Order: sequence, then structure tokens, then C-alpha cells
Amino acid sequence: MIDIAGILTANILNIVLITLGGALISLAVHFVPVGGAPAAMAQATGVGTGTVQLAAGAGLTGLVTAGAMMNVTDSMLLVLASGAVGAMIMISVTMIVGQWVYVYGVGCPPVSAKVKYDPITKDRQDLYVSQGTEGHGIPTVSFVSGVIGGALGGIGGGLVYYSLLIIENVAPTTEIVGIAAIFAIGIFFVNSVIPSYNIGGTIEGFHDPKFRRVPKAILSSLVVTFLTAIMGVLAIGGL
Amino acid sequence: MSTGGGKGAHAQISENNIIAFGIAGGLIGIYAAYFLVDLIGGYMSFLAGLGAICGILWGASAVRRVSSYGLGTGVPSIGMLALGIGLVATLFGLAVGGIAGPIISVISAAIIGYIVGILANRTLGIGVPIMEQSMTEIATSGAIIIIGLSTAMIGTFNFEEVVIEVIATGYMAVIFIAGGLAVLHPYNANLGPDEKQDRTFATAIEKGAIAMILAGVVASINESASGTLTILIGLLIWYIAFTEFYKLVKRDAYKITGSGLLPSKEELE
Repeated sequence: MIDIAGILTANILNIVLITLGGALISLAVHFVPVGGAPAAMAQATGVGTGTVQLAAGAGLTGLVTAGAMMNVTDSMLLVLASGAVGAMIMISVTMIVGQWVYVYGVGCPPVSAKVKYDPITKDRQDLYVSQGTEGHGIPTVSFVSGVIGGALGGIGGGLVYYSLLIIENVAPTTEIVGIAAIFAIGIFFVNSVIPSYNIGGTIEGFHDPKFRRVPKAILSSLVVTFLTAIMGVLAIGGL
Repeated sequence: MSTGGGKGAHAQISENNIIAFGIAGGLIGIYAAYFLVDLIGGYMSFLAGLGAICGILWGASAVRRVSSYGLGTGVPSIGMLALGIGLVATLFGLAVGGIAGPIISVISAAIIGYIVGILANRTLGIGVPIMEQSMTEIATSGAIIIIGLSTAMIGTFNFEEVVIEVIATGYMAVIFIAGGLAVLHPYNANLGPDEKQDRTFATAIEKGAIAMILAGVVASINESASGTLTILIGLLIWYIAFTEFYKLVKRDAYKITGSGLLPSKEELE
């Protein structure tokens, strides 16, 4: 049997960092312009797929880039920066390709239905919203918001992965990398579904009124991630 | 998304029976495989695959009940959540539990699932009355699926061997996505006003059989488990479940009509 109290006290900082990473992922999802099934038919602003798919796609890319950086350095800041950049590139590519489909394929202008003027470009929005839709495409403010979301998600995912990887144990590195990655993926999925329930499946970005619900999702994520962090630290620390 | 107008899904088989079937069938399959692989031989690992199918049926049933209220996020998210919680709970349970690993995993998954259910209802205000119970069930079935498929792959749930042969090799990703799809896809594929419990279940068993076949393919390159029997039984279950699904689709369809082949060039002129 493993020494539960000993491992927990020795790794209290890791538990805090993992919990923080989970909350960051939860916050990140609120920034990503996700339109769900309506957006897939160009009837709502955002990328036409679910929150989980978008957040996981970007976040897992962030994990890969963070992991690649961990091969060459132990510096936490570099690992997190690498994770953030990877996730930002992934979400940007997803949004720009979606945008091409909306603009050149469907033939609708990118427009937000939640605000009258784009907060960044100050362009008029409401005139271009097709009747019976909730906006379409990815307007500038949503794109910028999505990139911020990618950065936060990448940092959060990288933080979880990094904190799991530096837990002291006696197992070989390849095994630890595997377990830490799988744990990080599990925590990532849980923390991308919780905010998804919070926003009811669709959000345009930080200018959307639903964004004000953020504290609730972060609170929920803190509770759940704290619990999973304890389990992760015990599982890896006991090896 | 809502199929029952918020009243919940109509069921022919009662939910208590399915819960009992999922937990008991899953754990019996896993433990039977664990002991019989040592006693008889590696080919008994197929029993854990059957246990995983029990878990998949249970998970798909819970997804069906909770998603019929309309989650607003699409059905897939809840399947990913199930496997996400299941993954964390499984690694924890197997790491600390030893021989009791699967039971500890199931209990920890139930605890996290229940807390997520409470948070979803109270804090996030999702307003689905059966959310707590369903999240507990879905997370627990996720843990059973992951342990079942891992055991079917390597013939044991000993944490050291799971880490070396399932996690470090990356097969855990296959389990994650095959198990997740098996839980979320049945209701997602059949949803609508004419969704029927038996048709959804036929899809669930068919998807479970595919996951079992995949586990068998992995087992065939492992020395501690044998894949042949797992693949053969998986194929048999898949064939039976798919034939049943096809039959039920024809039963539930309003009308089936052949459209014929595309007209030839001469006929069009």
C-alpha cells in the first residue's frame, strides 16, 4: 500500500498547479467561438462543431507542443509558452478554414448577432445578419477571442501535463510520459465539457452576454479538478 | 435535441435491471478474465471484452436517458466526459487498489461523476432532474469500459503491466475513443421522435463488439493474452447485433422503398 499522506504533502504544489490548469482550460472554452450544429448550417456565429471537439483539438495540440518542448528543457515558462503557441495555431487554422467555407462556400458574410458594432473593428454588424439566423461565420472579434482561448487552453493543458510529469517517483521516463499525457487528456476533457454545459453549447466569444457566466464554470472546474488532481498525484507518486 | 418533451425516455427494459447488468456483468467479466487467464490460459481474456460490452450497454442507456432531456451541447460531449472521468478514476483505482483495483476505480468514478452531476445542476443550472444519477452511472460505466478493454488487451489489470503495455504504448487512446464512441454514438445515431430503446441498445452492443474486436487485435500481439477468441466472439456478437439493428430499423421505418439504380446515359437522352 502506498503512503497516501506522504505523497500528498510532498506534492501539494503540483495539486494546486493542476487545479489552476483545469480552471484555465475551463476559462479558455468560454473564449472559443463555438456554434454547434446551427453554425454547421451557417445559422449561428462560430465554428460549426461542439465545444468539446474544438477545445480538445486545440488543447491536445497544445499538449503535443508542450511535450515536445519538455524534451529539450525543464523550464516551466518555455513549456507553457510552447503549449500556448501550439494551441493558438491549431484554433486559428480551424477558424480560418471554417471561415473560407462560410465565405466562399456558403456565401455569407462573417457577422455577430450579439453586438451591434464589432468591439474591435467597430464595423456595423446587425445589417448583415441574415433573417432567421443568429449570425454566421467568424467575425474579427470572435477570431481574436478564439486565439486568446487557444492560448489559455494551451497554457492550462501544459500546466496540468508539466505538473504531473515533475511528480517524484521511481518509474522509467517513458511510462511517466504516457501516464501524465493520458491523465492530462482525461482532465482536459472533463474541463471542456463543464463550461460547455455552462454556455449551453454555443458562445461567440468574450463579447457574448453568456461570457458573464464564467465564474460558475471556473468554480465547478476548480472543485472537480482538485479531486482529479489528488487522484493523479497519488497514482503517479505511488509508482 | 429533446425527444421526450422533457419527460425522459420511454423504456421497455427497466433502468434498474440495466444498472445491475452493467455493474455486475462488467465486474464479473473483468475478474473472471483476470483469474481465468492465470488458471486456464491467455485466451480467456475475451471475458473482459464481454464485461466491457456490459458497461457499454449501461453507459449508452444512461446517455439515452439523460440526453433525452436535451443538454444543449450535443450528445458527444457527455460520452467524452464519461471516458474522461473514467480514465482518471481507473488510473487512480488500479494504482492504489491492487486486486481490488477495479472496485476502487468504479467507486472513485461514481464519486467524481456524482460531484459533476451536482455541480452541473446546482452551480451551472442545467436543470435536468436526473443529472446526478446519470452522471454517476455514465462515469462508472466509463471506468468499467476502460478496465474491461485494457484487461481484454493484456489479460490483467495489474497497474504496472497496464502502464507498460497499454498506456506507454498508446493503446489507451484507442480504448478512449472506441469506448467513448460506443457510449455516445448509439443514442446520437438513433435520436429523434421515433427513438426506441431496443434499437439504441442494438447499436450499443454492435459498437461494443467493434471495441472488443479492436482489443482482440491488440491482444494478438501480446504474450500474456490471446486475441483469436476475442476477435471471433467479437465478430459473432457484431454480426448478431448488426442483423438485429437492421431488422429494427426496418420495423421502425414508415416505409421502405427501393430507389433503383441511377438511370443510364441512354435512358436520360
